[in-house]
Amino acid sequence: MSTTVTPAATLSSASASIASRRSVSIATILKWLVAICVAIVAVFPIWWMFNVVFSHPGVPISINPRLYPTSLSAGLNNILTIFTETDYLRAYYVSVMYTLLTIIGILLFSSMAAFEFAQFQFPGKNLLFGIVMISLMVPKAVTIIPTYLLTVQLGWLNTMQGLVVPGLASAFGLFMLIQFMKSIPAEMIEAARLDGANHFQIYWHVAIPLSKNALITLAILTFMSTWGNYIWPLIVAPSPTMYTVGQVVGLFNAPYSHTTVDIVMTANLLAAVPPLIFFLIFQRQIVEGIAHSGTKG
Amino acid sequence: MSSLQISNAAKAYGAVPILDNINLDIASGEFVVFVGPSGCGKSTLLRMISGLEDITAGEMRLDDRVINHVDPAKRGIAMVFQSYALYPHLTVFENMAFSLTMARAPMAERKEKVERAAEILRLTHLLDRRPAQLSGGQKQRVAIGRAIVRQPKVFLFDEPLSNLDAELRVQMRAELIQLHQRLRATMIYVTHDQVEAMTLADKIVVLNGGRIQQVGRPLDLYDDPDNKFVAGFIGTPTMNFLSARVKDVAADHIVVSGLGGDTAAAGLVIPFAGFDPSIREIQLGIRPEHATIAIDPASAEGLAAKVTLVEELGDLTSVHTVLANGERLVAQNHGRRHSGAIETVVRIAADKALVFDMAGQRLRPAKA
Ligand SMILES: Nc1ncnc2c1ncn2[C@@H]1O[C@H](COP(=O)(O)OP(=O)(O)OP(=O)(O)O)[C@@H](O)[C@H]1O
Ligand SMILES: [Mg+2]
Repeated sequence: MSTTVTPAATLSSASASIASRRSVSIATILKWLVAICVAIVAVFPIWWMFNVVFSHPGVPISINPRLYPTSLSAGLNNILTIFTETDYLRAYYVSVMYTLLTIIGILLFSSMAAFEFAQFQFPGKNLLFGIVMISLMVPKAVTIIPTYLLTVQLGWLNTMQGLVVPGLASAFGLFMLIQFMKSIPAEMIEAARLDGANHFQIYWHVAIPLSKNALITLAILTFMSTWGNYIWPLIVAPSPTMYTVGQVVGLFNAPYSHTTVDIVMTANLLAAVPPLIFFLIFQRQIVEGIAHSGTKG
Repeated sequence: MSSLQISNAAKAYGAVPILDNINLDIASGEFVVFVGPSGCGKSTLLRMISGLEDITAGEMRLDDRVINHVDPAKRGIAMVFQSYALYPHLTVFENMAFSLTMARAPMAERKEKVERAAEILRLTHLLDRRPAQLSGGQKQRVAIGRAIVRQPKVFLFDEPLSNLDAELRVQMRAELIQLHQRLRATMIYVTHDQVEAMTLADKIVVLNGGRIQQVGRPLDLYDDPDNKFVAGFIGTPTMNFLSARVKDVAADHIVVSGLGGDTAAAGLVIPFAGFDPSIREIQLGIRPEHATIAIDPASAEGLAAKVTLVEELGDLTSVHTVLANGERLVAQNHGRRHSGAIETVVRIAADKALVFDMAGQRLRPAKA
């Protein structure tokens, strides 16, 4: 922010001080202008979606574009259509379970592994850590087919465990939590040891609470990547009973689907609602978390 | 209340020896202070006693039970860390009750024990706070409280006061003494501050370079050090060391000369029975309090010295001087201010001088 006092202002002459105040306000206005532009670009698609869903049926949006919704009942009708004529609720359930189980699993496994890596010595530690780091560098596209084949061999096609389990080994989560847990003072762990805490108690009562911020960050990043994950559910759970929200929306968006644009938009809007709610709840932590980890999901 | 014996203990990190040949007897209820310069192995020794660090060789006994391989939590030893190591996510109560929580003690017992400890340490009104809401001294008391709750046989303190300001340190020192009297527990305390050591200890253990230099009561170490290191480490300002030649050896005294490079002086007569006549070169240890600036330099007998710095503390004046051969000598005047003279004469109380050989070992007179 340009609140710097210019030399002219220190002269305390009236005109100089007005000039400096004006320069501050111009900078502020510019800042706001930029912020508003960015916000419009970001919000417009969502607003447009909303606009299309809640518009009079039979009035083609593209011919006579409007920037405001015109019919509440039409929108509710669209939503009802989606819920009654497709398995959208089921897809919600699959997506929510998929995301929730993945978050819980990643938090649990990453934190347990990170605790050992960060605070203790064990044979082969450096080798193992190296392997983890290498897997961090391999693109997802390379591992997805072997992972798929393994899942097939386990007979996990079209199952929840097929969706969830392969995603639980998060090299990124492990790496992030190791870095965080390394900063837990050794004396804190030693004090707990002297106080009679066993290995698991130290993990649970000391390491986990002290890593709360990192865990929240990891949960948020995992949510964002899992809810939006399209490829993996597509190949490992192709049966309609295991469709995620993303897949259902994909069906609507397919070139040969015979639904009208307002229904397609409704499906899209409904898919965007959970992340929106999630974002509104965890707004502060998400911003902090992204700043903290230096990543964008 | 327990006694601790350490015999022939050693510690090495890989091939690097850190502590060697540690022998120590700590009686039940004693307040023992480990003191020594930074890096001498004080913390390592303390951590070996706690069990956080394993012991490379030797034996450690607590109440006649060998504890070398006993789990740290089962030794009945509590430790207070320099950094306090309080859990920031727990309240003061929960911090102090941590060991009981881990042992799944009933809530009533937790409450009773924590409240008793909190009362001793005047923490009762702070039990609901979190560590971030406490002052340094309060955090330190919570850390001590966490130890008290465990009712340990031995308390270990690793430089617990070094993060506190000078005033608070004096106050906490007094509180620790009271606590020791009240609990009658064996306490081992690490510091590199010799004032802390002198004021707290029943027994001081001076460490240097991974070895015990001397063990004794504070004033015994001050009056009768075993070697130059202990002599120099205990007492402020530190003891002066002057090299000297033995000119004459008699049955009950020796005559030394060449002090401060002053060849002309007649020599200093030092009472010393049974001096080994083969020793020609020695070092004299003289406490600043046993060296004074002569009032009338012209007529006085003593060492010619040039004043470099005067520290006036009111009741006490420390005069830093340099002698003809470049050796430094600090003298003190009690109740008398320095005249401002640069060229002076320092008088030494020869009967108080301590004699060391050139290797720094103390030479003691034969007992009468
Ligand atoms: N884990 C370790 N590996 C190797 N050397 C170590 C290790 N821990 C300590 N040392 C070494 O052991 C020596 C003694 O360390 P220690 O911490 O006991 O010193 P200290 O007397 O407590 O010093 P201070 O007054 O600075 O706390 C030091 O030289 C230190 O470098
Ligand atoms: Mg130390």
